[in-house]
Amino acid sequence: MMTEQIKENKGQAQKEEVRIVAFLCNWCSYAGSDAAGTARLRQPENLRIIRVPCSGRINPLFILKAFAMGADGVLVSGCHPNDCHYSDGNFYARRRLEVLKEYLPFIGIDKRRFAYQWVSASEGQKWQRVVVNFVKRIKSINGE
Amino acid sequence: MSKDILNQKLTNEVSSIFDQVDVVVGYCGSNNPLMVNPCFIEEKEGLDQLIFNQLCINNLASYAYKLSKRIKGNIAMVVKPCDSKAIAQLISEGLIERDKFKLLAVQCPGVLDHKKITKALKGARVFSLNIGADKIEVETATGTQELTKDEFYADKCYWCKIYNKPPLHDIFIENDQKFSLEPRDRFEDIQDLEKMSLDEIFSYWQQEFERCIRCYACRNICPLEVCQDQCIVHLDYPNWQSQKVDADENKFFQMIRVMHLAGRCVECGECERVCPQNIGLLKLMKKMNQIIGDIFDYEAGMDIEAKPPLLTYKTLEKNIKEEEL
Repeated sequence: MMTEQIKENKGQAQKEEVRIVAFLCNWCSYAGSDAAGTARLRQPENLRIIRVPCSGRINPLFILKAFAMGADGVLVSGCHPNDCHYSDGNFYARRRLEVLKEYLPFIGIDKRRFAYQWVSASEGQKWQRVVVNFVKRIKSINGE
Repeated sequence: MSKDILNQKLTNEVSSIFDQVDVVVGYCGSNNPLMVNPCFIEEKEGLDQLIFNQLCINNLASYAYKLSKRIKGNIAMVVKPCDSKAIAQLISEGLIERDKFKLLAVQCPGVLDHKKITKALKGARVFSLNIGADKIEVETATGTQELTKDEFYADKCYWCKIYNKPPLHDIFIENDQKFSLEPRDRFEDIQDLEKMSLDEIFSYWQQEFERCIRCYACRNICPLEVCQDQCIVHLDYPNWQSQKVDADENKFFQMIRVMHLAGRCVECGECERVCPQNIGLLKLMKKMNQIIGDIFDYEAGMDIEAKPPLLTYKTLEKNIKEEEL
C-alpha cells in the first residue's frame, strides 16, 4: 500500500519535495498556524493542511488513507489536553492516535512518519518549530 | 462413551430451560465427518440433534447480534468458554442485552481444526472420524490413518487459559474429557514478524494480500462487526475503498477491520478460519490487542463492566508518552 506508491507518485511530482498531510483542529492549531503566518515566521511549504472541527473528528483511517495515497508523513495537531473546544475530543483522539502510531511498524510504515502534537491558537512559534522539525525528520527518513 | 454423557447432560440442561427461550443455538452433526453445523432449534423434538464434541470450532456468538434483533424472546446459546468472551464483549458495548441470552458454557477440551486435518491427509476424502484421548482415527479412501491429536487443535487453543472458566455463563456444563494442552505464549506467532525490518514486514503483508479476493467472509463471520449493512467499504461517498482488488486495496480493507476492532477483538479466530485464501488475519488483530493491552491494560471480553478503552479516556494517561517535536 505504502512505500511503493510513495516512490511511484514521487516520480511524477516535483522530485525534491516531501509531501506531508496535516490535520489541524479548527479551534487551536489551525488558528495557531494562522498566527505563525501573520507573525511572518518562515515555514517549509511541504504541508497540505486539512482543517477538521476537532482532533476527535480524526478517524485513524484518515491517516492510513493519506499514507496509501502517497503522503511521506502525516501530522495531526489539536488543542492541548483540557483546552478542547468540545471539552473532551482530544482525549479520545490521543488514545486512538497513540494506538495507531504503535501499530504502524507492524504493517511496514516507519512510525516516525506520523506525529501528533498539541498547539494552541497563540503558539505560532511552537507551530513553526513543530513543522520545521517534522519536515526535517521526514526528509532524513527519505534519505534527502 | 464420555461423549454421550456430555451430550446427554447438554440436552438435559437445554430442555430444562427450553420453556424460557424462543430458540436454541447449538451444534448438530453434518454430512462431512470433519465438521459440525450450527443449528437453530425452535421445537422441543429437535433437541435430540444437539451435540458437542471436539469438532465444534465455530463461534456461535457470530449469530448473537442479528438474532437478538430478530427474535423477541430469549435465546439459549451453547458456547465454548472462548466464545462467551465475544458475547461478554457485545454486552459490555451495549450491543445486545444480557437478559436476552441464556448461555450454556461447556467445559472445553480444545477443538480440532479441520483445515489442518485435511492438509495432513493431503485432501483425501474422509469417510469417518474417531476422536480418541490422544489420537484421531481417520478412515479415508486410501485406508485408516492415525493422527496425533496434539498437532491438530485450532490455533487459539494453544494459548487458551479459560477452557474451564468462561467469563460469562448461566449454566456451566462439566466435561470429563480434559483439556490436555500446555498454555503457550499468546503472542508467540507475531514475534517472528516483529523481528523483521520495515521493508521485510511490508513485503510480507504485500504477499499475503496479493492472494486476498476480498470476499468479505472475514467481516461477515466476525461476531463483533455488527454494522455490516452500513459498512464503509460499500459507501460511494465518501469513497474509502475502490472496487479494485489488489494488494493495496485489500490491505486497506484489513486496516479498516483492525481499526474497527481495536480493543474489541476477542481473538476467536473465525476470520482466519473462514478465509478461503488462508491469510493470517489473526496476526493483525493480535498485534493490535497487544498494544491495547500494553497501553490500557485491557483484554476484550473478560469483564462486562469494563469499558472498551477507545470508548472512554482519562485526563492523565499513565502509559502514553507524548513526543515533543
